[in-house]
Amino acid sequence: MAVLSGFDNPLIVKDGISRMRSWRAPLAITLYLGLLGAFGYAIFTIAVLSTQFTHSASSAQIGGSVFVSLAFFQLALISLFAPALAAGAISGERERQTFDVLLVSRVSAFGIVWGKLVASLAYLVLLILTALPLFAAVFLFGGIDFEQFVLAHVLTIMTALSVGAVSLFWSALFRRSLPATVTSYATTFFLVVGTFVAGLLLTYIYAFRDGVAGASNFEFHPLAYGNPLFAMYVVLASPSGAPVHLGRLLQLLFMSGGEPSRWGPELEPWKLCIGFEMALTVLAIFGSVLLVRGRRAMPLRRARPAVAEAAP
Amino acid sequence: MIAVERLRKRFGRQLALDDVSFAVPKGEIFGFVGPNGAGKTTTIRILATLAPTDSGMATIGGIPVGDDPSAVRELVGYMPDFFGVYDRLTAVEYLEFYAACHGVARSRRRRVALELLELVDLGDRREAQVDTLSRGMKQRLCLARALVHDPRVLLLDEPASGLDPRARVEMRELVRELRRMGKTILVSSHILPELEELCTWVGFIDRGRMVAVGPMEQVRDRVVAGRRLRIELVQPEETAMRSAEQVLAERPGVLAVDLLGDHIEITVGEGVEEAELLAHLVREGVPVRSFAPVAGDLSEAFMRLTGPGEERSAR
Repeated sequence: MAVLSGFDNPLIVKDGISRMRSWRAPLAITLYLGLLGAFGYAIFTIAVLSTQFTHSASSAQIGGSVFVSLAFFQLALISLFAPALAAGAISGERERQTFDVLLVSRVSAFGIVWGKLVASLAYLVLLILTALPLFAAVFLFGGIDFEQFVLAHVLTIMTALSVGAVSLFWSALFRRSLPATVTSYATTFFLVVGTFVAGLLLTYIYAFRDGVAGASNFEFHPLAYGNPLFAMYVVLASPSGAPVHLGRLLQLLFMSGGEPSRWGPELEPWKLCIGFEMALTVLAIFGSVLLVRGRRAMPLRRARPAVAEAAP
Repeated sequence: MIAVERLRKRFGRQLALDDVSFAVPKGEIFGFVGPNGAGKTTTIRILATLAPTDSGMATIGGIPVGDDPSAVRELVGYMPDFFGVYDRLTAVEYLEFYAACHGVARSRRRRVALELLELVDLGDRREAQVDTLSRGMKQRLCLARALVHDPRVLLLDEPASGLDPRARVEMRELVRELRRMGKTILVSSHILPELEELCTWVGFIDRGRMVAVGPMEQVRDRVVAGRRLRIELVQPEETAMRSAEQVLAERPGVLAVDLLGDHIEITVGEGVEEAELLAHLVREGVPVRSFAPVAGDLSEAFMRLTGPGEERSAR
């Protein structure tokens, strides 16, 4: 059944057709691009007007500030869209009363979860792709490297994937889409905003406690390293900025004292963030598969001799 | 083809199935009858690999349902008692989707979908969006969905529920056609007259226990006809009818005597031999023209077997 588990998954095709025939699909794309365009134009206007006061702003500076703003805004929008798309994926099948019929087909539990995740993610990727010309136009102003351009989009897609996978897990857990959606948004808020705020707060608390605030050996709290906003901030400032050894990160995570460890590779925040998001995605998919599999009758007992067929 | 042996299933404190056993021979239509909450859907869900059993055994085509669910799913087409449909898919796309889910080769999916739409008389609605179809059409489409992988066994849970009379007749004919195609069909329903016409075998379940199971005529006769007799006199005049009534009423084992215009119907208890009773009537000078069991009625059997406090078994 590997063929059903890959991209040749009937659920991906079916969900894709259903979604794209809905009036919501073009509306969401229009809304997404409209918001992104309006926000980008507003930032651009502000950046141009601000040159009257600075007298030194170049097109690269204008382009850089517009790109940075757009990248953060896109990350926020995708974080808002992902739960909406994924949180009803499995619970919606239950509500439509189509789930049981799906379970008695040959599609595996993993196939169902994978199909739903890819179908949700495909639409998010479509949104990101439709916004590429906007980013490309800003990219022409300069101020942003190609590496930053790519990494910003990789971070956005990975965030979409992890938020989508977690939302899918809630969708598999709850019977109804409403609690699944509410819980998904709460989790997304924690992952995207909560860890960022908590990470920075803890960073400053420990920095002041240790008397190193403002010093060169200033270290961020491990919570910040798993956060996409922090990773995006560092990527757009300098992709190779704020690296940390894996050993030191574990040291900080478990608050063990002693000399800073230099064990393991030196990792930039974007690498750690993507690693964290991939781990979260794998865990969420695994959990969802277990939940979907639990809905089927599992072969728990040892085989016994078959009952003889009834006589005609 | 379907064999269920001492199936038990408990939901919390409630015993949903209590030693349920029955068998459905190959090529038969088995009517699964019982009041709401009797355990029909639970049994069907177990057979469809959607629910585990607490104990007991269910096999389809000789394959234990709990041990090899994947193999059982290959054999079974399941139509639940509700029909979920996807919005914004056409009827043909809907069937193609399920054909893909059941592993039908891509090159065959469209042909299979179109053939099934013809079978369920929806060929002219193949490009119609599923959510625009009438209830009867959706039911037929759902039946077609259960057939996409050409299963040998069909589990139909209340397939005629909520349908108008015409749609019921169409559904009934469709099920008959499927039997002619060699399918073994288990169908649960509350519409007993239809089951009576449709099914060759019947099983009654009440409060999680099978109370009767077997070929339709046997069960019906055992439960109903064997207890009710129709007697016609040579000349159904009032005096002769009254005289016969008196003779019958005095006979041990005769529980009730009803004068119904031109004939008499009596209810007899267990152990009453029809031949002996007829001989007694003749000896007493009652001019009997015909003496026969009343043709059974599934609704009556249903009422008798599933009445409050009933725990009898006709097996």
